[in-house]
Amino acid sequence: MPSKDFPSASEHVTQETINRYADISGDYNPIHVDEEAAAASEFGGTIAHGPIALQTFFRSLTEWLESPAPPAGTVINITFRAPTRPGDTIHCELRDQTGDEITTECLNQDGTTVITAKSTIPS
Amino acid sequence: MTPEETPALSNVTYDELDEGQVLGTVTEPVSAEMAGSLIGEIGAPGEAQVAPPAVFPVLFLKALRRTLGGIPNGGVLAKYELRFGEPLPADGSEATIEVSIAEKYVRRERPYVVVQFAIDDADGKRVLTGLKTIMWPTGPGQE
Repeated sequence: MPSKDFPSASEHVTQETINRYADISGDYNPIHVDEEAAAASEFGGTIAHGPIALQTFFRSLTEWLESPAPPAGTVINITFRAPTRPGDTIHCELRDQTGDEITTECLNQDGTTVITAKSTIPS
Repeated sequence: MTPEETPALSNVTYDELDEGQVLGTVTEPVSAEMAGSLIGEIGAPGEAQVAPPAVFPVLFLKALRRTLGGIPNGGVLAKYELRFGEPLPADGSEATIEVSIAEKYVRRERPYVVVQFAIDDADGKRVLTGLKTIMWPTGPGQE
């Protein structure tokens, strides 16, 4: 495990970010890209695809590992806890490091945790 | 049906899916351009020789869309489990993705479906096994 501090990448999410991700992934679910339909949903407006908020974690992790991809044997468990909306800025923080396991949280600008990730990274 | 011809959305119900069911196996190219657009800020051009981790959720979505006849309309992502294997080259070669239903359950009156993705590189090496838990838009007995 690296001994340096866990970096905190951040991403400002806009509807344009969401639309770009829809084009990359092919996921045009109305809850992400149709502002009128999303306004009538339980979310009251569009929400970002989950992987958009997760991107801050992936960027922080790969920068920390100084590797473009986690090593073979790495296991990451991710829970999506709250939606990310256009206008949110997400960043990621290390919460705990024990042995080969790290626990991280991604938060929005209000301090709401949107994602938690527990990673086991082989030495 | 080509990837471009696959409908964007699917209305497959909870009851139409069975644990252990294999939805299908598809191949998807992993280009340097696609991988590069997922290495920094979403969509910003970057350079990648191997797939960054953000490529895998995209492959999940592409494979789910093709094997399920579209992305579940109204589904909400709840969890991922990612088990990494060998690095996946981002050189335009094809990744093979087998999609199956690992589990489905109802918790706190919400229906969930766990979809498994087994991804191999062009040489047949396992690069990732992923589980994606989706809060399904329909529950038991619902159309």
